[in-house]
Amino acid sequence: MKIISYSFFISVGRSVRTLLYYLGGLASLTMQTVHQIFVPPFKGYRVMVQIKKAGFDSLPIVILVSLFIGFIFALQSAYFMQRIGSEMYIASLVALALVRELGPVITALVVAGRVGASITAELGSMQVTEQIDALEAFASNPIKYLVVPRLLALIIVLPILTLFADIVGILGGYLICVYKLGISSSMYLQVTFDSLLPKDLNTGLFKTIFFGIIIAMISCYEGFNVEGGAEGVGQSTTRSVVLTFIAIIIADCFFTAIFYFVFP
Amino acid sequence: MIFGKTKLELKVGIFVFAGLVILAFFVLSIGKFRTWTSGYQVSFLFDFINGVKVGAPVRFAGMDVGEVKAVGINFLPQEQKTQVQLYSWVKSGVKIPMDSEIWINTLGLLGEKYVEIIPGGDYSQCLEAGQVMTGVDPVPMHEVMRTAKGIVDNLNQTVTKINSGEGTAGKLLGDDTLYNNLEELSEDLKRHPWKLLWKTKEDK
Amino acid sequence: MIEIQGLVKNFGSHRVLNELSLKIDSGSTCVIIGRSGCGKSVMLKHIMGILRPDKGSVRVDGKDLSGLGERELNALRLKMGYVFQGGALFDSLTVGENVGFGLIEHTNIGRDELLERIEESLSLVDLHGITNLMPSQLSGGMKKRVSLARALCIKPNLILYDEPTTGVDPITAASINELIRSLHDKLKVTSIVVTHDMKSAYKVADRIAMMYHGKIICEGTVDQIQNSPHPVVHQFINGLAQGPITETIESGMKVS
Repeated sequence: MKIISYSFFISVGRSVRTLLYYLGGLASLTMQTVHQIFVPPFKGYRVMVQIKKAGFDSLPIVILVSLFIGFIFALQSAYFMQRIGSEMYIASLVALALVRELGPVITALVVAGRVGASITAELGSMQVTEQIDALEAFASNPIKYLVVPRLLALIIVLPILTLFADIVGILGGYLICVYKLGISSSMYLQVTFDSLLPKDLNTGLFKTIFFGIIIAMISCYEGFNVEGGAEGVGQSTTRSVVLTFIAIIIADCFFTAIFYFVFP
Repeated sequence: MIFGKTKLELKVGIFVFAGLVILAFFVLSIGKFRTWTSGYQVSFLFDFINGVKVGAPVRFAGMDVGEVKAVGINFLPQEQKTQVQLYSWVKSGVKIPMDSEIWINTLGLLGEKYVEIIPGGDYSQCLEAGQVMTGVDPVPMHEVMRTAKGIVDNLNQTVTKINSGEGTAGKLLGDDTLYNNLEELSEDLKRHPWKLLWKTKEDK
Repeated sequence: MIEIQGLVKNFGSHRVLNELSLKIDSGSTCVIIGRSGCGKSVMLKHIMGILRPDKGSVRVDGKDLSGLGERELNALRLKMGYVFQGGALFDSLTVGENVGFGLIEHTNIGRDELLERIEESLSLVDLHGITNLMPSQLSGGMKKRVSLARALCIKPNLILYDEPTTGVDPITAASINELIRSLHDKLKVTSIVVTHDMKSAYKVADRIAMMYHGKIICEGTVDQIQNSPHPVVHQFINGLAQGPITETIESGMKVS
């Protein structure tokens, strides 16, 4: 019994130590990246490439997912709202849930799975094939060249994608309510926009900036730390997606609590 | 990138532009930004506001013309009482006469509170920007209910009794014996006026 | 001139470089031989300033690399070319952009001149008309030659070759050897060639250094090395299975 508990504490201690090392490494990479943002030369072109990759190319999947989230949310809330005879408030539920919570988080998770994974895989294979060393050999700072554009692009892209997710999700709710539940179109739109406050949109979009930072930093960090060839790239990519998901959910909880208690 | 043309700029442009369009759409539709409509600030004083929140609509003659921007509480030392001040924004062009009645009213299923202004008649004196008006205090809901219930209960009882011919009023209204008796009496008196002075066998 | 003194580098608990010292004169070609995974590439990366020493110093043209800021280090790096073992071409860029990378990133060179320089560098390694291909469309040998062209494009006065002839056909290997030779003869470029291809080593070297267990165990001219009495050197250059070097694969393979 004693032996078991002892080894348990050792393994907990080890996990904590690993976590601290990880956070330290991540923080150090983030600081260097922030520093490199302000080091000339500034090449907007690379940011544009990443905006196209992370933003434009993610549009179809973000739109698809959020449209269905809108359908699902409208139907699920209709189940109860019809019982209490308040179908017209489905619109408020859909609008508030999407703008405050589902839009930002679903977008962040989709981008983490799609863009974050590809960043880790790309940087990881660059690390394995010595391309990162090659960058340094040609006097280009790998953080400046690789991380800065990805970070900036994700910070720009996530709020925009979230706006798409919000509007498409509301459209999904609209389609269900108007064509399936027989709520009038103008009533739906009026209730939707009456129930939304500027605060709801602001907090929803504010969160996504941090989600962008989380996705960029974790996936770049994992990419730089790939060891052991193609297999290592695969492992790091998996870990990057898992860690990003966890970090996004925790950060979301944190922000929701802050917004709830500090800006009621 | 350096060589060969791509449609990169176009795609990024479409993406960012569409994002801005959606943002603009949200901003305009949410409609509470209202930065482009001009208006003026006024305040309403109440002793009791029944839970009006910031952002609650202000209605003049039943139409939304503004909203509550802030809620402040004042303690008046001379009168030893507390007053709540609703700092509100009202669209310009809306004239509120000083003799209007101002209520706190309740809207819809969810019990959302709003400020109701029932227009007065004297348009020579209107509320100006920065001025304060005192409102009619709403009665707390539970008091209204209690009083109303008491009144209705009593009324109900009385009406039931009257209808079933119980009690003085009931008999008075529902029974024609009295009328018949009176008629008989007056006819009898006409024929035998001495009966006023003489006691007969029937009147035991 | 490059001067390495008492260089120590550990990867985790494994010591890859152990008090390594070496001096290379300007304008000469030094070939470093040794088994796979003995730390040759790690040493090259120290000269480039990509890796930082745990102990000891690396001096290039009299400047201690560990004392330089990033800007000075980058200025120095732009006078050096590095030919990576697997090519290490940037696979998101075309061949042309790869070759011109140093110029595109760090100079304001005009487009025409840039294209000219890229063509010139590619023709040095016998490649033509591939500027718009992507690296993934090239064979292994071609990648290596493009990597060489990329190093040449910035007109460096020091070139580091990491196994330039491994994995290419004998004819290409011979032409690479000739190229290294002619750069040395015509342009007085200092070269450091890491290889275990002895044929290539004899062809290009002014001096040869043998690396073993993270140290230079023997250094000299081609003749001196060929006649070296050192048993390890003797076994290595003659490719003998029997000798002091045993079959145990030295750990640290993956970092070389």
